This record gives sequence, C-alpha cells and structure tokens, in this order.
Amino acid sequence: MRDVAGAPREMTRPSSGRFGVGRELIAIGALGGALSGLLGVGGGIVMVPLLVLWAHYGQRDAHAASLGAIIPISVAGIATYGIAGQVKVGPAIALASGSILGARLGAGLLARIDERLLKALFGAFLLAVAVLMAFRR
Amino acid sequence: MTGVVLYAALGCFGVLAGVASGLLGVGGGTLMVPFLTLAVGLTQHESEATSLLVILPTAIAATLALRRRGVGNAGLAIRFGLVGAVGAVLGALLALALPASTLRLVFAGFVAVVGIRLLRDGLVVRPA
Repeated sequence: MRDVAGAPREMTRPSSGRFGVGRELIAIGALGGALSGLLGVGGGIVMVPLLVLWAHYGQRDAHAASLGAIIPISVAGIATYGIAGQVKVGPAIALASGSILGARLGAGLLARIDERLLKALFGAFLLAVAVLMAFRR
Repeated sequence: MTGVVLYAALGCFGVLAGVASGLLGVGGGTLMVPFLTLAVGLTQHESEATSLLVILPTAIAATLALRRRGVGNAGLAIRFGLVGAVGAVLGALLALALPASTLRLVFAGFVAVVGIRLLRDGLVVRPA
C-alpha cells in the first residue's frame, strides 16, 4: 500500500524496533511469556490471536511464530521452576512421548472431523474442569 | 497411581493431549495441568513446571515439522521468544510467590475463559 506521497507502507508485518522486533511483538511476547510462566501453558492461546489481530500476521505465520517462541519461553519457565525444585522429569518424559505422537495423529485427523462440534464439546469439558479445580480442596 | 501403571496412564494421557492440541491448537498445558493435579496428585506448582517440560519437546517437534514444510522464520521466532522468556521468568516467579490454592484458582479461571471461548466458537454461527 502506498499513500499519496509515494512512501511504501508495510501493512502485513509490524515495523522493527530496536531489538529487530516490532513493538507489538515485544508486548505480545512478554504477555504470552508471562502467562506461560504463571500457568504452565504454552502461551499460544494469547499469542496466536494477538499476532493475527494486532500484528497483522496470517493465521499460519502466527501459528509458526508462536510455536517457535514457545521454545525459549518454556526453557525460561522450566529453569525458573527447576531452581525451585518443582519439575518432575519422569512424568514429563512419559507425557511428552505420548503427546508428540498424539499431535501427529491430531493433525492427520484435522480434515476429517466436525471442528465446531469438537470445539463445543471440548469447551464444555474445560468448563467442568475449571469448576472441579476451583472447588477441590 | 504408582510405577508402571502411572507411567502408562501418563503416556496415554499425553496422546490425548497431543491429539487435542493437534486438532484445536489448545490442549497442551490446559489439559495436562488439571490432569497432573486432579488425577496424579502433583501440587499446582509441580504440575505447571512439569507441563512446561512437556511443552518444550512438543514445540520443538512441531517447529521442525513446520520447517520441513517451509513455514516459519526461525530468527524472528527466537528474537520474539527471547522477549517472551523474560516474561516467562517473571510469570514463574509470580507463580512461585503465590500459595498453591490461589494459583489453582487463577488457573481455574484461565481454563474457564478458554472453555467459554471454545464453546462460543463451536456454537455461535457467524456470517461467512
């Protein structure tokens, strides 16, 4: 896109700041990282939508950028919790071996399922999980 | 649960969590942390820490798979991620400073928000 003065304006990716990463990316990364460290999740759940809506990434590039960023983010979280002695390596290895296999299966199933029904069912299930977690003592 | 049964259950649950994340892009930590606290009996902090150690190899495997298909920009993702790493240290320090019961409530709130968003995506018909 060019304005009247003829200066090219980058519309698909944010401008680079002094870290070689746009200000939007710094804010999104910091937010995703903080959520990941606080809750032990990847952070993609906030990073992907923000990369699409705020930094104007395409869905696929946002997904890839978020996944790549989760690598240093999780390393930092693991190190912080690890120093506090909270990381359980054995269970993590067992879960991870299943999870890497499962992710391949899930990606293969993607074309063959009713995504809306699955989202609704999984959403209802997560609400039940939230209630269980909140009320268990 | 102990010994072999525990590890078999963890492996099976890992497959489920992996399928969910492959299908929906959600389901890694959102599923693993409740499973580790409610079924396995880890503390909230141990569950979150352990979940991160599962997310790391899963994200590496997924990133390598995307790279083989030519998707992604490793340099950008790493710089973006280094900013995130600072946030992650702060987030984890905040979690470690909170009592387990408070952290569990915060986590339950997060799971509820994710659940509501998925329900809305699944149920609400948007004009094309």
